[in-house]
Amino acid sequence: MSRSGAVALAAAIIVALALPQFLKGYGIYLLSTWAVLTIAALGLNLTLGYAGQVSLAQGAFVGIGAYTAALLMQAGLPYPLAFVASALLCFAIGWGLGYPALRVQHHYLAFVTLAFNTLVFLVLRNEEWLTHGIYGISGIMRPVLLGWSTAKPLAFYYFCFGMLTVIAAALWWLIRSPWGRAFVALRENPIRALSLGLDTRRYTLMAFAIGSSLGGISGALYAPLVQFIEPNSFALALSFNLLLMVIVGGSGYFYGPFVGALIAVLLPEWLRITQGYYLIVYSAMIMLMMAFCPYGLFGMVERAIKALRLRRAPPAPAAVSALQTERPRP
Amino acid sequence: MTPVLQVANLRKSFGGITAVDGVSFEVREGEILGIIGPNGSGKSTLFNCVLGQLTPTEGEVRIDGKPTTGLRPCDLNRLGVSRTFQLLQVFPQLSVRDNLILAGQEHQGTMASRLFGAADAGLGEAAAQMIEFFRLSHVAAEPAGSLSYGQQKLLDAAMAFMAGPRLVLLDEPAGGVNLTMLANLRERLQAYHAERKATFVVIEHQMEFVMALCTRVLVLAEGRVIAEGLPQDIRKNPIVIEAYLGH
Amino acid sequence: MASFIQLLVSGLATGAIYALIAVGFTLLWQTSQTINFAQGEFVMLPAFFVLAAMNFGAPFWLAILISITLSVVILGLVFKLIIVDPMLKHGVLPLVISTIALSLFLKESAKDFYSSQAQPFPALVPSIDLHVFGAVVSVQSLAVLAVAIATVIALHLLLNHTRLGRMMQATAQNPTLARILGVPVRRMVLYTFLINAVLVAIASVLISPIYLAKFTNGETLGIAAFLAAIIGGFNQVRGAILGGVILGVLDNLSAAYLSSQYRAAFPLIILIVVILWRPQGLLGRLEERTV
Repeated sequence: MSRSGAVALAAAIIVALALPQFLKGYGIYLLSTWAVLTIAALGLNLTLGYAGQVSLAQGAFVGIGAYTAALLMQAGLPYPLAFVASALLCFAIGWGLGYPALRVQHHYLAFVTLAFNTLVFLVLRNEEWLTHGIYGISGIMRPVLLGWSTAKPLAFYYFCFGMLTVIAAALWWLIRSPWGRAFVALRENPIRALSLGLDTRRYTLMAFAIGSSLGGISGALYAPLVQFIEPNSFALALSFNLLLMVIVGGSGYFYGPFVGALIAVLLPEWLRITQGYYLIVYSAMIMLMMAFCPYGLFGMVERAIKALRLRRAPPAPAAVSALQTERPRP
Repeated sequence: MTPVLQVANLRKSFGGITAVDGVSFEVREGEILGIIGPNGSGKSTLFNCVLGQLTPTEGEVRIDGKPTTGLRPCDLNRLGVSRTFQLLQVFPQLSVRDNLILAGQEHQGTMASRLFGAADAGLGEAAAQMIEFFRLSHVAAEPAGSLSYGQQKLLDAAMAFMAGPRLVLLDEPAGGVNLTMLANLRERLQAYHAERKATFVVIEHQMEFVMALCTRVLVLAEGRVIAEGLPQDIRKNPIVIEAYLGH
Repeated sequence: MASFIQLLVSGLATGAIYALIAVGFTLLWQTSQTINFAQGEFVMLPAFFVLAAMNFGAPFWLAILISITLSVVILGLVFKLIIVDPMLKHGVLPLVISTIALSLFLKESAKDFYSSQAQPFPALVPSIDLHVFGAVVSVQSLAVLAVAIATVIALHLLLNHTRLGRMMQATAQNPTLARILGVPVRRMVLYTFLINAVLVAIASVLISPIYLAKFTNGETLGIAAFLAAIIGGFNQVRGAILGGVILGVLDNLSAAYLSSQYRAAFPLIILIVVILWRPQGLLGRLEERTV
């Protein structure tokens, strides 16, 4: 990472740790939502940005994670176990769904995941004996970890942010490992990757399953955050939102989801001035963005830096033409 | 001694068009077989069938005696087969060094061990040697997309050799490369062949390249083998000349 | 048996409408690799054009014409020039995201600028019932079938028996070759967008009397479009028709014979099953594997 990048990261962490001290309850709640949704977006970024698979089911995995955690806690299980159960269950379901689904063309996966998301929603809504249906599950307690109660907003935020940091670190390790290199190969040139012995099917499946598992973890944090969950929160709208977070931040860029989630959480607040028309403005902005800067914010920044570098030191002609044929993400 | 590669009665049809029409041949260890033929003779389709990119309509492929028809390219690579591509296929965003590590990493340990092991999968040394061998040291840390065309061709070949394959299939390695770089490439291929006793199969259009590199030549036309033999004999073969001029 | 025939007929009618939507969707995919996630909303919207025109005093038949015209301009021309064209050079994913955003945009616009309440929509023919073989068959179902079949026949004639249609087919199958042969590819692609706009407008007028004009119609209709296109085989127009009809019939039968809570699940399960076991659909060609 460049020096300016490291400085920016350090500054961001300091802000994230210090800012909540100056905010009221609602502000802290927004930040906690940001932290929790970023985890889901990080998972989707792995699936979409690194392995190149369009998944419209991430919202369903958040829902499965949330309900699993809530139900297990109500059954008396301690939170850490419920948390792990959510993660593992979503990993298994992701693997099970992905195994047949990833053998077909990319655009089909979007439809399969779309259908899966709606099916999950229907199950959550209809199976009242398990999920309380449309009445939802209320009174979800915030965990007590090693004697430290996270019931207060500030405490729970630091818990969420702590989990986010741990997961980000784990993902960073993953991306730096040979697996990370394999994921990039998968996205850039799957045919070449295959010819080099890379089992593209297995790696894609792994990316999808890990991504789904992160959705589950996000859900396991979401449940105690909002303390009341119902099926409507986990319908297609959430999956679209998460997808937009990844795209707006920059699909395939490590820090993209952090920025994308921040925008997605703050935008409704800023657009409150447009009153009821907020969704119309939001969707119009997305369309504009896709027309002019589909690489997301980090993609835009990367291109700006490259353009600056080219202007400062024009390279040999061969390199310029090579750069111009560079395949854009995604 | 089992031939490294055996192709028997291979046929591949796309709807009404039969691109490969009953091709059979063998390649023995240490040979450099050249496959030539006019455009549309089915060379690339043949390659893709051998390499698992396409499933043959009929026929069989064996590597070291083991049937491999229809196996996926990644499985074939693990059996010791690798290839280069006609249209450049490096990973432009990764550095040259990373491209090479990627080319070899899937042969190191298991998927799990690679997750928890070293970031370079223990291939740092091997990659450096390969960079040395192909004379790419001065661009080792550059993104592969910024290399010149000829350099990318060398990288392509280097990636194919990274895992120490027994059988390498080269798809038009000379295409679009200038004369100096071509001599360099040919020399490096011959050096690798001599050092590792590998077996090559080369599709090529450029006659001089084929004559200089290959030990035996196969000629395809309209999906069938029309001639086979030593390079200098093929050059004078009237059937071959007819096939080229007739198009 | 009587009720089965009834369900079958109304299923065929709904299926015919799904077929129209699916055909437009497939055409867009074939000619320009556009996966229009907003196709459902495209069907939802023209009904509101009709209602708005009638609010301004236009008689029903005129309102329909106005709606089709508006549809062609907005959902055909504007959609292609303003949204699809700038996006195509960036690849398929930005276009997918854009159409998802567009679906949201259209849905919210209908809700905010017209009404969030379901609006009754006039039927093409009065609701009389015929008694055939002891079954009660509504004239409306028959009228829907007639219009849908007429549209499909017209489309078939256009695509297969006119020079224009053959050029469009060439563009769909192999744009590069078509361009070399002198086919004005860009214009052909534009025409498919315009055709899609007409198809969705007709579908809208046919389905709104049954579903009422609601801003949420797009969700179910969109899924029906994808499903029908996939069941039939993504790369075949004939398949889209077959898929739509099968879907309509199964949907109606399942509503009657299966639990109503999971009624929406039935088509989704079919979608998953079809994609996983026979991704080329019933009539499509299996695309050569790349992975």
